[in-house]
Amino acid sequence: MKQYHIHNTFLSLLLILAAVTGGCAKNDQTAAKEKLSIVTTTGMIADAASIIGGDNIQVTALMGPGVDPHLYKATKGDVDQLETADLILYNGLHLEGKMVDVFENMSKSKPTVAVAAVILDSELRHPTEFQGHPDPHVWFDVSLWRMAVGAVAFEIAQLDSVNRPLYHERATVYLDSLTQLHQWVQEQMATIPEDQRILVTAHDAFGYFGRAYNIEVRGLQGISTVTEAGLYDVTAMVDLLVSQKIKAVFVESSVPKKTIEAVVEGCTSRGHKVIIGGELFSDAMGQSGTPEGTYLGMVRHNVNTIVAALR
Amino acid sequence: MIKNDRPVPIEVHDLTVAYRKKPVLWNIDFSLPEGHLIGLVGPNGAGKSTLIQAIMGLLPVLSGYVKVYGHPLEKNRQLIGYVPQRESVDWDFPVDALDVVTMGRYGHMNAFGKLSKQDREIALSALDKVGMADFAKRQISQLSGGQQQRVFIARALAQEASVYLMDEPFAGVDANTEKAIVALLKELKDRGKTCLVVHHDLHTVREYFDWVMLLNMRLVKFGPTAEIYNEENLRATYGGKLVLLAEAAEKLITKS
Amino acid sequence: MAENLCCLPKPQRNLSRNHNRMDFWELTVRFFSLADANVRQVIAGSILLGGAAGALGCFAYLQRRSLLGDALAHAALPGVGLAFLIVGQKEFVPLLLGATATAWLGALSINAIDRYTKIKLDAALGIVLTVFFGLGIVILTHIQKSGSGSQAGLGSFIFGQAAAMSRQDVVALAVVTVCMLSVVTIGYRHFKLVSFDTGFAFAVGLPVGRLQFILTTMIVLAVTVGLQAVGVVLMAAMLITPAAAARQWTDRLPRMLMLASIFGMLAGLFGSYISFLKPSLPTGPWIVIVVSGIFAVSILFSPRRGVLIRILRHYQHRGKITRDHLVKSLYRVGMERENWYAYYPVSEIAHMWSFTPTELRSGLSQLTAQGFLEREVDMYRLTQNGVSAGARVTRLHRLWEVYLTRYLELPGDHVHRDAEDMEHIITPEMEEQLSQMLDHPVFDPHLQPIPYPTEQKGV
Repeated sequence: MKQYHIHNTFLSLLLILAAVTGGCAKNDQTAAKEKLSIVTTTGMIADAASIIGGDNIQVTALMGPGVDPHLYKATKGDVDQLETADLILYNGLHLEGKMVDVFENMSKSKPTVAVAAVILDSELRHPTEFQGHPDPHVWFDVSLWRMAVGAVAFEIAQLDSVNRPLYHERATVYLDSLTQLHQWVQEQMATIPEDQRILVTAHDAFGYFGRAYNIEVRGLQGISTVTEAGLYDVTAMVDLLVSQKIKAVFVESSVPKKTIEAVVEGCTSRGHKVIIGGELFSDAMGQSGTPEGTYLGMVRHNVNTIVAALR
Repeated sequence: MIKNDRPVPIEVHDLTVAYRKKPVLWNIDFSLPEGHLIGLVGPNGAGKSTLIQAIMGLLPVLSGYVKVYGHPLEKNRQLIGYVPQRESVDWDFPVDALDVVTMGRYGHMNAFGKLSKQDREIALSALDKVGMADFAKRQISQLSGGQQQRVFIARALAQEASVYLMDEPFAGVDANTEKAIVALLKELKDRGKTCLVVHHDLHTVREYFDWVMLLNMRLVKFGPTAEIYNEENLRATYGGKLVLLAEAAEKLITKS
Repeated sequence: MAENLCCLPKPQRNLSRNHNRMDFWELTVRFFSLADANVRQVIAGSILLGGAAGALGCFAYLQRRSLLGDALAHAALPGVGLAFLIVGQKEFVPLLLGATATAWLGALSINAIDRYTKIKLDAALGIVLTVFFGLGIVILTHIQKSGSGSQAGLGSFIFGQAAAMSRQDVVALAVVTVCMLSVVTIGYRHFKLVSFDTGFAFAVGLPVGRLQFILTTMIVLAVTVGLQAVGVVLMAAMLITPAAAARQWTDRLPRMLMLASIFGMLAGLFGSYISFLKPSLPTGPWIVIVVSGIFAVSILFSPRRGVLIRILRHYQHRGKITRDHLVKSLYRVGMERENWYAYYPVSEIAHMWSFTPTELRSGLSQLTAQGFLEREVDMYRLTQNGVSAGARVTRLHRLWEVYLTRYLELPGDHVHRDAEDMEHIITPEMEEQLSQMLDHPVFDPHLQPIPYPTEQKGV
């Protein structure tokens, strides 16, 4: 609860700062074009930006559903879009590993902001395998993601000072719903029995989720999807599942299923029935237009799937 | 062509062959007389190898046809024994001399690749005939040029054909091998076989072959060596490329 | 049985990744006991794949089309994408069919380019590889953009996950291997001739076109089935490397085929084993490392063509040359002093010829061990055998000089250097021939006598 207060104060400070400094700068471009345009990398950022921006802002995401941001390479079409954007929002922390140069280029001519960078380093996870680099999958901890959304709101307010009160209002509502979501997740996850509190997925994206909601997470493939699993990893996972009698494992929409399927086969041959509890959205959200195509919907889907399978 | 009651071993009628749009053989017309040793002679690039390969069906022809004992090639393939040029093959291939000679019997193989005991014996005796019986199990890359040539000839002998086409069998062989090959050719002739042999050494033509075919893109002269192998005809064969003919032919081929 | 297996100890309830590892021996025993289904499947799949690809690769290798497998593996990519576009789902069978179709198209294109244009085969392979693969990337990017959620991992259809071989994969591989075995066994002679001498194959009436078709189809099948199990690089490696390694050890085709299969299978087995020993050792790449290691060993150590063997033989020959010079020098000195059995200190022997200290030392000890020299403290003298040996080398040298002057009509002062080299190489048969041909000459061109002892002993 203490964390909650600090974050709330922090965000309020941000908004006040924006309101104060806002009066000084005037963005001439806003007068020239119809709508301001924001281009984001992941769908999660785009979701937040479009909720806060509403009809006033045109938001586009480069990476659609089912896309792996670790491996994503910008196409020419993407670069063109980035060129015409008024604001570029990306996750940062090396999630979009292959787009670093593009961001550097773009930052010369327009605000190019890593929204996860707003999170204090002490709040981030630093897994040992990642040699000092932080884990970029911050959206799995709703309370951390709330901070990033705050940064999104800040940047939008900066961009379009005219409609600032509008954005402030929408942001406040959305941030509230995020707070509620965080609470809901905590309650739901608490219903999983102690001996089933292990979340097994294809790759190590769910670290923040595990830390925030008190469940042990195991990925088969390591933190990035680029690596290939080894026979030891597969067998070790089977051992874990069998010895702990874990009921379910989960596949991810943006990572190939083959290794998880092999693990299930291995468990079955040892007489332990493991089901694939469902598909989780990890590095990307679901189809746009569906509830899972929004951040709130995605999180709810994930939690419902996990809880139903492990309870 | 004079029609005999017996069909000739090889009849070539109006054959024109192009290689990559360049004319190589132009209106070739001949019938091989049975039971003779025929030397095929001409300058470099005259189309001698091409003629052999065209008869074997290895190259597409622009016009004309080839008949083997009165029938198309596909029907009477097994009557032709073929000795290709030595460098047409990678001699580093992991087979021994007997393997190569046995390949001459592959025309008699069934779909399952089975050869009879008789086939094996024929192969061995062919190898023996060229004096290479001791080298049966020797890997072919360990053979000298002359020995490789003998193996190739043995392979053709194993085919037990009636007419033999040989592409430069004397190229790069030692004197002993050359003598052995000539003796073999003479023996084939005595047994009534016909041989058409591409040859490059003008000095030995008279000694080796009783008929000769002078070729330079077109058939210059064809007949018994004693009659037609003279300076005048040689000059006509070797006297430089027929530029006009070559140009005209090239235009024709590109247009068609 | 499965339940009692030792396995990882109960993981701590904290979220750290450090769990105790099983030690090396436990892991080895567990691997080879084939107790785990995953292990069994991966071993079975990689052994089948290694064996089939190894044998098929031999024919491609001998026809100088080794890179064909690599080109076809890349050519399969657009087929995967197209199949997904048509079916809308990541289904095993349609994707396999798609991959096979475009891989086949690639094979046809390679042949067409080779036959109908001036472009050579290796360039044709490269062109088809890159064009098809580029097309595949375009299609996959389009799929990526179209936002269909279930397309994740299409591209890794190409890169494979060897550690995740399923029963389905193993069955498919087994079918391909059985097909391939039967085809190669039945058509062995046909393929042998077609690979060796296509022209003659035509001449003999073999259906060359159809045979090449069958061979290429086998390669396409192996590539597409193996591809989605283990990926592009591994497939290319398994089609090329075992065949190339096997060639180093044998000059006979049946043995080459067998060795290539065995190498492929060993690589599959040991690559899987290594990736079982520690975390994060990807299985596919380790199989490639093992097969490359086998190749390196073959290149270096094979008795016929190995690099190290050749170096060894070179030094052995140098040793012989040194020993020849030693006995020859001692013989000559003995001739001059009319006493062959005198002792000489090492320092004096060193001056009889230009030896390096190492050569001198090893030469002397070898000759002593072989019975050509006798040793007393640091003095050496010739034995009777040694004298014969020295006489022989001298004789060979002088015979060769006579041969050169008489047959090649070289002047007397030109022949010495040549004879210096030849005296180490002339075999007893050649010596006999020379002697007879030259009619047992008594003197060499420098009027030195040619020794003919009754017994001959070579060094």
